[in-house]
Amino acid sequence: MTGHLRSWPIVLALSVASAPLVLMYVYLFVDTVTNAPPGSFVPNEFTLEHWSFLWHTPRGRPSIWRVTLNSLLFATSTAALVVVISSMAGYVLSRLNVPARGFFLAGVMVLHAFPAITLIVAIFLVLQVVGLYNTLIGVILVKAAIDMPLGIWLMKGFYDTVPWEIEMAGIQDGASRFTVWRKLVLPQVKPGIFALALFAFLLGWGEFILPQVLAPGGDVQVLSVYLASLIADDNNFDMALFKSVGLFYMAPVLILFFFFQGHLMNIYGGGTKG
Amino acid sequence: MRILLDKFSKSFGDVRVIEDMTLEVNDGEMLALLGPSGCGKSTTLFAICGIHKVSGGRIFFGERDMTDVPSQERNVGVVFQSYALYPHMTVAENIAFPLRIRKLPEAEVKRQMEEMARLVHIEELLGRRPAELSGGQQQRVALARALVRRPNVLLLDEPLANLDAKLRLEMRSEIRRIQLETGITAILVTHDQVEAMSMCDRIAIMNAGRIIQIATPQEMYRNPRTAFVAGFLGNPPIAFLDAVARDGWLAVEDADIRLPVPPGTRTPPDGTPVVLGIRPETLGREGDAPIRGRVTFVETQGRENLYDITLANGSVLRSIQRVSDDVSLNDEVEWRVRSDQIFVFSQNGERL
Amino acid sequence: MTASRDIARDGPAPVTARAVSARGLASWLNSSKGLGLVLLAPAMVLVVLFFLVPVVVTGLIAFTNMSTATGITGGAYQVSPSALRVLTDQHGMGALAERLGQPTYTVDEQGLATLEEMGIEPGIVAGLRERHLGETYSSRREFERAIRALPERPATRTVKRISAAFSRSLANERFASAGALIAAAEAVEPDLDAAEKQALVEATYTGWTWTSENFRRLATSRDTERVFFNTLFFVATTLVLFNTGYAMVLAIATHYIPERAAGIFRIIWFLPRISPVVIYVLLWKWLAWDTGFLSALLSNFGVRPRNWMLDSATNAWVFVILINGFVGASMGMVIFASAIKAIPQSLFHAAAVDGAYRWQQIRHIILPHLKWPILFVTCYQTLSLLTSIDQTLLSTDGGPGGATEIWSLWIYHTALNNYAGNLQYGYGAAMALVLVVIGITLSLLYLRLFNYNALIIKPRIEH
Ligand SMILES: Nc1ncnc2c1ncn2[C@@H]1O[C@H](COP(=O)(O)OP(=O)(O)OP(=O)(O)O)[C@@H](O)[C@H]1O
Ligand SMILES: [Mg+2]
Repeated sequence: MTGHLRSWPIVLALSVASAPLVLMYVYLFVDTVTNAPPGSFVPNEFTLEHWSFLWHTPRGRPSIWRVTLNSLLFATSTAALVVVISSMAGYVLSRLNVPARGFFLAGVMVLHAFPAITLIVAIFLVLQVVGLYNTLIGVILVKAAIDMPLGIWLMKGFYDTVPWEIEMAGIQDGASRFTVWRKLVLPQVKPGIFALALFAFLLGWGEFILPQVLAPGGDVQVLSVYLASLIADDNNFDMALFKSVGLFYMAPVLILFFFFQGHLMNIYGGGTKG
Repeated sequence: MRILLDKFSKSFGDVRVIEDMTLEVNDGEMLALLGPSGCGKSTTLFAICGIHKVSGGRIFFGERDMTDVPSQERNVGVVFQSYALYPHMTVAENIAFPLRIRKLPEAEVKRQMEEMARLVHIEELLGRRPAELSGGQQQRVALARALVRRPNVLLLDEPLANLDAKLRLEMRSEIRRIQLETGITAILVTHDQVEAMSMCDRIAIMNAGRIIQIATPQEMYRNPRTAFVAGFLGNPPIAFLDAVARDGWLAVEDADIRLPVPPGTRTPPDGTPVVLGIRPETLGREGDAPIRGRVTFVETQGRENLYDITLANGSVLRSIQRVSDDVSLNDEVEWRVRSDQIFVFSQNGERL
Repeated sequence: MTASRDIARDGPAPVTARAVSARGLASWLNSSKGLGLVLLAPAMVLVVLFFLVPVVVTGLIAFTNMSTATGITGGAYQVSPSALRVLTDQHGMGALAERLGQPTYTVDEQGLATLEEMGIEPGIVAGLRERHLGETYSSRREFERAIRALPERPATRTVKRISAAFSRSLANERFASAGALIAAAEAVEPDLDAAEKQALVEATYTGWTWTSENFRRLATSRDTERVFFNTLFFVATTLVLFNTGYAMVLAIATHYIPERAAGIFRIIWFLPRISPVVIYVLLWKWLAWDTGFLSALLSNFGVRPRNWMLDSATNAWVFVILINGFVGASMGMVIFASAIKAIPQSLFHAAAVDGAYRWQQIRHIILPHLKWPILFVTCYQTLSLLTSIDQTLLSTDGGPGGATEIWSLWIYHTALNNYAGNLQYGYGAAMALVLVVIGITLSLLYLRLFNYNALIIKPRIEH
């Protein structure tokens, strides 16, 4: 529609505007495997020394592998919880004739918009009282609860696209409502479930403030908290090390995003449609 | 198995869609529910199979009151307009699904599934998924899946609507063959009158949530109870003509037409406005009452020609005749009506 | 008609369910209602545990003086010097405080029994009972002089042990309950009246108590005003400049360039959103710190290296807004881009025929179509900016000198993490309550605005 108008000035302008971002991310890679002379940003030697954190654990810090394992546990468990709970509740809101259905729908929408982070003081105290403070389980439950409204909303959207006739046919074929959901409807929303799982995993993987407040201990530290405490430690300032840990931490995100960006952009962008 | 809807009504919120409908389908019969879009055909079907709760009345299968029995226990086979095959299962799994739900032994499941596949002629498709089938093939799978557990009742909701003309013709006789072979009681929902007439033992014509008439196809064609029924059946459709009763005749005064009152019709009092229903095949070269007009449309249908003739008062009648070359567009013609075969309706559509 | 039907009608009451056969339960589960409630249950549990309960807890704690010092679960009664000061200053019971605070020695049967247990010579015990039973001394020296004056004089070490056994001082004693405290106090000061008891219990309690002090403090504190305007400035500026403004620029600009290039730019601008926040902020620090890229670059032009992120309030704000804005821009970008894509091509063609220039297309075709998306993004992002904390915490941490302290961060610093180490849960909860109320109000408002009623479609299977 606009082919006759030149687009290179726009491309140029966008390129200039994007330069700082590109620079930051390019140097995230470059700095982890090179050294540069002081005061310069042109690398002059290749090195793997910044990656020594992988096999050498600094004193007073948990092992990177332990922390990575925690992060994996945290992100996969929250993703699993969010997926399971949302695929159950989303189905109810999309399809089942429950009492006060409108109320539940409104509730999910309100919870979706409501910033749960404002409750962190109370959650912090509640976890302390019930003994889940500084445990992975506690922070996993909290994170799953916070991501759940979005998950339910997305799953409801996915279920809405499944033809009613499939369910009607299933019921006529003698299947219970549960079997219809489990055997006939769930398989239709598999792509949606996958996208949600991916999304919830990445949310969990990147989460910082919840583990920082609710589970800061060395045994349950996740990568974000580990890296933040590394950076906050004024005595050992080593930007290349920070970046190496950062790249190590971010690699799964980049890989997943590279392969599934279509799914993710949609969800990240809207959260209102699948 | 006999189906009886006894004073069944259904409303969605404030909207009453079906009002006090009573309908009986005999054992082994195939009944067509025919009516315009939105008249409540699907709603009736959904009530019979239990997807909808009824708002009033009772539903019986045989002697058993099914009104509050859950869908799963009604043993009704349904073929949906969109077929509703399970996309993630193969044809074989689709057909076997109702049997597996019933926890039949696997060998038995396989035997019955294959038998049913043979009946609907899809043996060679068993390994495919629905997305890899043509419309007609999907339709057969849907039929097989509905029939495999030997339902008491088979419900078909516009099963042929998505097929092309040729396939539709083929499936019509196919469905009828299977219904007769299995001896199952069936209800076919359609708004295609040809489908209803050619496939079913009886037709129930619905309009706006009511059944207007139930009869065999011939009876209904020959003896429609209302103008709506007469207008719904027949292709090309019947034409209507306003007239008045005059001295024991039916006259269209501004078109200079006078017709005798057909036998079996009450002679209306003088001056009563009436509506005449004239089927295309009753207007032609033979007949007793002359009608003059101008040919304003000619359509060749191969064996026959369809003509529209416009009368002096602007009304249009249709005539279907054997192909001949002696009439062409804009000719003034004088044809005849077999006046004993016309229908006379009151102004509100009731047959007199 | 059957039992199973009745249950379906009676709803979830498990009592009824137990009374009927397994088939009844199965059929209840098969009904929409039964299965629905079962499938909703886990979600409801999480909602109750992590939304409803915390909202209530926030509301309750906001009315307490709970802090690290008071503990969370309740406290004990301690006659600490500060408690005695409270007793003196606030209750005017200086005399009582002095008495309770002083060491006191009372010769009573209890102490004598202790001596016997300790294996002190019976002669000494008998001497004490005969001569001094019931006497009270207000200093150790005095009491020990009396002990030494006994007929059977104990060794110096034993004197100390004896005097310790009769020490009845309350100073720095901890009592688990108010009853124990009063009992002990009465041992020192037998005729306490009710008001004195009450005051004593209040002054020595170390746990948290109910108070509306937090809100008074919040309403009168100068910090409140500063943080409030910081937050307002932060939300408004970021929202207008980036979350909607720049997002729109990106969406429209990428609309007018070839799809391939557009895709690349969208991915670039998505990086801030998908990157874990710690890394993302780290990259900005690399850019801004005194040994970072900016400093190195500018040093070529003779600018002294410095931490650009924290060297002045203005710079700190620039970075906070950039850091938050770059993340926010991507959401708007995706939403606006898909809204633009949804505009019928024919409209653009018509405009092209009309000879409309690009900016006229933008003004007359694109912008009118973006009205609802802009409203949506504005609403959604207002709430998330209002409560955003990660980026600011990790970059400036509210600095320099509190210049970029925003409300959510203030809560964090008050209740969850500060240098002083005394976390004021009650005060923090009061601050959080403000946001909770705003959050609930706004989300309810949005619900009306975006007409959710249109979304409720009755299920087509009615059972
Ligand atoms: N869930 C519903 N809520 C409200 N009204 C409904 C609902 N389902 C159907 N209706 C209304 O009931 C009437 C009958 O609908 P129904 O689907 O039975 O029509 P139909 O005869 O099957 O039409 P078609 O030939 O187009 O399929 C229609 O006017 C429709 O709008
Ligand atoms: Mg229908």
